[in-house]
Amino acid sequence: MANIIANLNKAFESRIRLGIMSVLMVNESADFGTIKDLLELTDGNLASHLKALEGSDYIECSKQFIGRKPNTKYTITALGRQSFQEHLNALANLIR
Amino acid sequence: MEKQLEDLKAIREMMEKSSKFLSLSGLSGVMAGITAILGAAYAYFFILGEHIAVAKILLILDAIIVLFISISFGIYFSWKKARKSNQKLFNKVTLRILYNLSIPLFVGGILSGIFISRGEMEIVASITLIFYGLALVNASKYTIDEIHYLGITEIILGLAAAIFLYNGIIFWTIGFGVCHIIYGLIMYKKYDLK
Repeated sequence: MANIIANLNKAFESRIRLGIMSVLMVNESADFGTIKDLLELTDGNLASHLKALEGSDYIECSKQFIGRKPNTKYTITALGRQSFQEHLNALANLIR
Repeated sequence: MEKQLEDLKAIREMMEKSSKFLSLSGLSGVMAGITAILGAAYAYFFILGEHIAVAKILLILDAIIVLFISISFGIYFSWKKARKSNQKLFNKVTLRILYNLSIPLFVGGILSGIFISRGEMEIVASITLIFYGLALVNASKYTIDEIHYLGITEIILGLAAAIFLYNGIIFWTIGFGVCHIIYGLIMYKKYDLK
């Protein structure tokens, strides 16, 4: 049992981070505004969680300009995809 | 245990919500179907007796009016559903769907126009059904599964309409009328009544 729980990734404990990872798993990329609308969050709240996931190298961001407006786009990294998949498997195993 | 189950549910919901257009209302389908049947009935009883030159223009007008009314109802019901579930109607996914729908639809529309201008009206029912079906299949990966099967159904009806060339209006009425109503009701029951 202890072993199964160990597979749960602490980085994905919060519901917000689960949401961010879920969005990026099924979309090639998503910009800040899109994620914000989907998760119904405030700027600051979302930014801190994105930063944390970025710090673990699970997601990466690229900044660009659309016209004059800055636009931050997020994509999942290979490491992020693998880690999230392992987390999903661990969740599924736990409820089985 | 409870938390893990909730987590998994939330993950699945967010994956669907972020990659699929779920505000499509079954009622849009039902209204589109009714409009199509009325349009086809008008064409059958009032237009087909006219001289070919007049009939051509009236048929195109008839089709445009049917299309306009169907799309208006579609947007209206989807907008209502999106508002009810607190979502935006126009987002990245909506644009992706519209783009995927539009390519086959434009090609089918232009091809129909070419045949109509040559006076070969018989084949138009088949072309509109086939390209509409292809458009639905193409866009269905971004929305609910029923759209995929509706698309396949339209394609089969379109091919049948090409075989029974002079009964095009019957297949057209089944495809755009009856099928929309049936699939619309199925979707309404499955997704909207929840």
